[in-house]
Amino acid sequence: MFRVARLPASARVALGIVLLLWIVAACSPLFLERSRAIRLEERLRPPSADHWCGTDDLGRDLLARIIAATPISLAIGLVAAAVSLTVGFAIGATAGYFGGGVDLALSRLIEVMLCFPVLFLLLALAALLPPSPWTVIFAIGLTTWANDARYARSEIQKIRELDYARAAKVMGASTPRILVRHLLPNALAPLIVSAAFGVGWAILAEASLSFLGVGLPAPATSWGGILSAAPNSIEEAWWIALFPGLALFLTVSAYNLLAEGLRAATTEGGRKA
Amino acid sequence: MIAYVVRRLLLAVPTLFGIALVVFLLVHLAPGSPISGGPDSVRRASGRSMEEMRRLYGLDRPLPERFLMWMGRVVRFDMGESFVDHRPVSERIREALPNTLLLNGVALLLALAFAIPLGVIAGGNPEGAFDRVSGAALFALYSLPTFWAALLAQTLFAVQLRWLPLYGVASDTAPAGPAGVFDRLSHLALPVTCLTYGTLAFVARLIRAGVAEARTSDYMLAARARGASMREALWRHAFRNALLPLITLFGLLLPALLSGSVIVERIFAWPGLGRLYFDSILSRDYPVILALSLLSAIVTLLATLASDLAAAAADPRVRDGAAS
Repeated sequence: MFRVARLPASARVALGIVLLLWIVAACSPLFLERSRAIRLEERLRPPSADHWCGTDDLGRDLLARIIAATPISLAIGLVAAAVSLTVGFAIGATAGYFGGGVDLALSRLIEVMLCFPVLFLLLALAALLPPSPWTVIFAIGLTTWANDARYARSEIQKIRELDYARAAKVMGASTPRILVRHLLPNALAPLIVSAAFGVGWAILAEASLSFLGVGLPAPATSWGGILSAAPNSIEEAWWIALFPGLALFLTVSAYNLLAEGLRAATTEGGRKA
Repeated sequence: MIAYVVRRLLLAVPTLFGIALVVFLLVHLAPGSPISGGPDSVRRASGRSMEEMRRLYGLDRPLPERFLMWMGRVVRFDMGESFVDHRPVSERIREALPNTLLLNGVALLLALAFAIPLGVIAGGNPEGAFDRVSGAALFALYSLPTFWAALLAQTLFAVQLRWLPLYGVASDTAPAGPAGVFDRLSHLALPVTCLTYGTLAFVARLIRAGVAEARTSDYMLAARARGASMREALWRHAFRNALLPLITLFGLLLPALLSGSVIVERIFAWPGLGRLYFDSILSRDYPVILALSLLSAIVTLLATLASDLAAAAADPRVRDGAAS
């Protein structure tokens, strides 16, 4: 479906960055000890040869902390996006396939979700439910599925009317079988695009929650969690604001760029969308 | 057209009900919420607010009945009292609203003012030098986390350069007259910028895509054949067609702005609705949480309704198609 060679150059670079990030995540346990070593005599040191990204308010090496946080940020984004996509696709595909009253009802549900500021719902769920990584994952997944659902709905509506879908129905295939065996594989390409955007968005959402102090509970630390300490020392330590955010920005950009490249590759003639 | 309007309005009724239900369930099903009465809520809620909760939510009643009671108060615009300072919720919202309106209003206007010309010029010559540079810049802005941008802006412009204040709406010793206005503006600069760029990037990319697509259309060719200049054809024909998706999505810009407002108002200590919402979440001030999420969703629903009707008025294809 997607050939790496057919992707735009920017998307291939983005794919490389994403792979690199996952490699960093895989190697991160090597930095765990260093990331936790508290040395108050070295607190708030600017970047140097010893500490490439400087140290935080407890004298911990900032670079080691950023690396140690990589798998957490990446994994939570991935799983949350998967939850959002699953819920969104199930609801959107059902609405698009059955049409009529089912579509009308489910479309209202989608509309309801889209009316709320995402962060309002996210904050409420994340802060009112017991703090845990699963709370964060489900808060993100359950508040962001509406866009995926809208997307899946229009895709399935399009495909449903195609000859092969009708043929399957005429041959007596059951509804679940038509949906899973015939419609899902053909909606897969746009779905993957949606997933790539979703991962970037979910990583950002988790970072925002952790920055606001209602994300992951200690001791788990994500990039957003490291950044939450930045306002306290903004007068003396610019590096605490700069570097973890840079990792976040790089990651979100890479996923978005990859998503745009995949979208360009799936639309006819690779037209830039 | 009338049939479309009626259908659209009727469809908004179940959506409105759904919004109320989501808000209600959001707070009432969470542990530590008024109904669960676990150790968490006992510790957080004082005797008086427990009494208040009992009165407001009829805690001994079953869930559906409680929902109806709550709905009954909502339609009478009775939002209850804040648990934190025991003032009416409506009063607290009224205090914060002007600050948020100012921040978001300026941000929205700025975003449109920059995004529209940017999108039309870039879309008018796709893959041209301007399109490539602006495209890369807009992409970067699109992926830039708001809170990180805010932190960097504070570090650079408030701490390092000392050009702008770090946070707040005005200096404590704000002078009167023109200097006071300048003081307000300088406090507005950073938060407005942080709230603007995301919407700007979104709208500019939308307009650019629409204009780029319209460029090769028959009506553009016809306009050019009639002797319209490229510039004229772009603005009079391509832009107007590219505007349609923007009209449709306009209502949905509101919740995005409010989401951004929570972060921006928190970082810049801006006493608006976003900060009120965040503080209420932290202090579990349920009446305020309920009121703010309900109001923001209803305002968004009305805005999307208005967008849909405006799109239908502008484009017959919309009202002839499916309304949902």
